[in-house]
Amino acid sequence: MVLKRVFQSSHSLFVIFHSDSKGEQNETEARVQSMIAVTVTSSLKSKVQRNKLATAGEAIEYRCLIRATDGKKTISTSVGPKDHQRFQASYATILKAHMTALKKRERKDKKKPAEADKREGSSKRPKKS
Amino acid sequence: MVYITEWDKFVEQSIELFRADPDSTRYVMKYRHCDGKLVLKVTDNRQCLKYKTDQAQEAKKMEKLNNMFFALMARGPDVDLSEVTGKEQMDAQPTKKGRGRKQ
Repeated sequence: MVLKRVFQSSHSLFVIFHSDSKGEQNETEARVQSMIAVTVTSSLKSKVQRNKLATAGEAIEYRCLIRATDGKKTISTSVGPKDHQRFQASYATILKAHMTALKKRERKDKKKPAEADKREGSSKRPKKS
Repeated sequence: MVYITEWDKFVEQSIELFRADPDSTRYVMKYRHCDGKLVLKVTDNRQCLKYKTDQAQEAKKMEKLNNMFFALMARGPDVDLSEVTGKEQMDAQPTKKGRGRKQ
């Protein structure tokens, strides 16, 4: 189980995948043991940088630092205000694809036979003229 | 460390926490496949807010929170979040089909 950086449309993207190419069984086995942590922080932390920008009269360009780790390997990327929506969309797609262990809501769509019988028995009202 | 049970409270408090101290606040998402659990954490090293779930439905909510935090961190803490969430809600709304004239 490794984390790899994939460059898609000029920015980094986190993809979880298994390095072995022996088939789906290995991938599922690897995924069962997996844990992933993604940290999002504001990357303009340096006070010196901010003071420089403030004294120069330039607008502060905020950047977002994203780090992902599986406990062994860590990857990171910095996203600017222009790229953040594109990154977010791709990131959301990956999360949806890989978070398969979460429970799906159980819908009670099965109608009881008693209710069905009642519906069949009841006659429809005639339309008002 | 506080585990918050209500999603709306968690979102509200985490955004407040970020706006109070944008430089030292971080947002962590931890997903454990073996347990089938997802934990979200927002902390500024003094206060720590956590939300735990095992429902797939909550992942959609988390996606919205992700979008909010990306916007706050990439555009700055003064960004208007109604734009961010508003767009998503507009996209999510299905087109209404007319059912004909009511009798």
